[in-house]
Amino acid sequence: MRFLALLIAALMACAAQAQDTIKIGVITDRVGVSKPYSEPATEGMVFGASEINKKGGVLGRKIELLVEDDQSKPDVSAALARKLIDQGAVFILSVSLSPATQQQQTVTMEAKTPQMTPMNSADYLTTQLNNPYFWQTGPLGSVQIATLLAHAKSKNLKRVALITDNSDLGQAIGKAFRGAIERAGIQIVDEEVVPLGTTSATAQMQKIRSANPDALFVAGVVTATNVLIFKSYRELGLKFPIHASYNLSVPIYMTAAKGLIDGITFVDAYDPEKAEVKAFEAAYRKETGKEPVNLHGYGYDGIMMVAEAIRKAGSTDKEKIRAAMQSMSYEGVMGAKGMKYSFPEGKRAGFDPNGMVVRVYEGDRQGRVVHVGQK
Amino acid sequence: MRAGGFVFFKTNHMSGLLRWLIAAVVLSAAAFFMGEYHNDVYRKLLLWVTLALGYNFLFGICGQVAFSHFAFYGIGAYSIVIFLFQLHLPFPIAVLCGIALCILFALAVAIPSTRLEGFYLALATLALGQLFIVVLNEGGSVTGGTGGIANYRLPELFGMRVRGPWYTGVIVLLLVFTYSILKRLDDSWFGRACRAVRDNPEAAAAMGVDVARTKVIAFTLTSALAGVAGMVYAFVDNTVNPPIFGIENAFLLLFMVIVGGAGRHAGAVIGAVLLFLLPFWLSPLVGHHHALVFGVLVVAAILFQPGGLIGLWDRFSRSRS
Repeated sequence: MRFLALLIAALMACAAQAQDTIKIGVITDRVGVSKPYSEPATEGMVFGASEINKKGGVLGRKIELLVEDDQSKPDVSAALARKLIDQGAVFILSVSLSPATQQQQTVTMEAKTPQMTPMNSADYLTTQLNNPYFWQTGPLGSVQIATLLAHAKSKNLKRVALITDNSDLGQAIGKAFRGAIERAGIQIVDEEVVPLGTTSATAQMQKIRSANPDALFVAGVVTATNVLIFKSYRELGLKFPIHASYNLSVPIYMTAAKGLIDGITFVDAYDPEKAEVKAFEAAYRKETGKEPVNLHGYGYDGIMMVAEAIRKAGSTDKEKIRAAMQSMSYEGVMGAKGMKYSFPEGKRAGFDPNGMVVRVYEGDRQGRVVHVGQK
Repeated sequence: MRAGGFVFFKTNHMSGLLRWLIAAVVLSAAAFFMGEYHNDVYRKLLLWVTLALGYNFLFGICGQVAFSHFAFYGIGAYSIVIFLFQLHLPFPIAVLCGIALCILFALAVAIPSTRLEGFYLALATLALGQLFIVVLNEGGSVTGGTGGIANYRLPELFGMRVRGPWYTGVIVLLLVFTYSILKRLDDSWFGRACRAVRDNPEAAAAMGVDVARTKVIAFTLTSALAGVAGMVYAFVDNTVNPPIFGIENAFLLLFMVIVGGAGRHAGAVIGAVLLFLLPFWLSPLVGHHHALVFGVLVVAAILFQPGGLIGLWDRFSRSRS
């Protein structure tokens, strides 16, 4: 009898412990193709969670992040979503590959578990499946291109050249750029592809030089080939401006393309002059001793919004969290000054279409904002 | 030695049939004792084992270094989804069309490839694998582009929808079906012909083996089996997308067969189980360094144990007896 009482006491203690924290699942990539994006975003989340916990947590309970590595494999990713749900996660944050996030959705939809990607940009994530438990706050690919084009229009460009690499994503973005440029009534005078593994882009850049464009659009996403493009641009002494895809917002260029990138404009979702960004960067530096980059901001905003949703829901009931999330309006680190994430009229892609900015490299640093939104 | 060529399940093989049945029941029953997560990992593991068995026949037994196995897995998966939900064909016809498509593609690759061997076959099939991914990404509304196809469910059959652990049963049947075919073939004249072609094509030809025909049949058959596995995969998560069928998975399959022991069915099973589960086991212990362990394991297997892990087991059991 005493043994039974002890057992019950032990079980209750375990249950109380389980009650202690609010579990949030994170699916990231530590070894695969999206590692360069996923890792900083995850670090941003870990930092955000520690900040929340320092201030007493949410609903009087601490937040516990359960981080899983899917290696950018969508099938593994879906299995991990099941694991996190089995372990009691009330929300899943996805910062791996877009198709991985999509495959997780087949699980969260069935298990009615709230899920959000604070970073993925694929347009199909909220349109392909009617999953009321899923939100996306990463800026959509279509918004990125529209913002870059709006900036180009303000420069009154008439004739432009387009260059990309032959990776899957590079080709896809190149195609999207071409469509958007043509729709804007701007003439494409030359289009070049730099194959992966090549050692020089000089031939392509010479052809572009002879076409004499007003500006060059760089749609490539592979760092090595983009660096070759910028190198040839400098060597040939070209003067037309370069407008680059979102890929140039990845911090690697500040070191990999040293001395080559001054003056290049690129689309981003991060304004270093924004008050929230300054506060975030100072706090991050103080806590970790490391320099934050824009990608950290995505993860930070993600965990902050989830905490806010749980706070608003007043409980960890998944249905209440879902409702709180859908009615959310939140101003975070990412986006132009004053931008708020919101999901009006049942929409689940929450990044404001006018919230992206165009920035310019100043020396080797990602510098000031030169254009905001699609206008 | 068993004579009898291609005849499956002869009456004196009834006990064999019973063995298959018991294996299927045991493997399926296991699914009912697992949680959602373990069931999902189990399902995906069984699919990898199925693929590894087929690839082992092609690479390990027939000696063809081909990287198209995952492309056929993908052709199967995408074709069943497209036939069922875009062309709205009835289920059995969609399955048959999917298999026919795989066989057609396999023949289209295999017949010209008989002129190629070793390195050149590897390159040709590598190109096919890459091309397949490009087609998937560029396929517009037919393939769904980079996002693939989602938002579909397994149609009801006889008023029932197979799901959860019951669907694991379907995958077990696929595995047992694939293995029984490959085992029968391996034990038959055809299996010996394949091994002869692998070891010395000239000698095989001198002994009356039609080398080209043997190669084409082995390639087409294993590719079609991969296609069927792909059809089953399509309903595991009810979504298909390009990264699943990428070329790195074709390499992983090759490593599974090599680490396990090329040319041996048990080797393929061991390799697939080990390399698929490795990240799941090691991630909580060593974090992302599991990729390093994977690399060391593959290099060690190639350098020190060309017979694979099953070779180690052979040595162990020999020394014991």
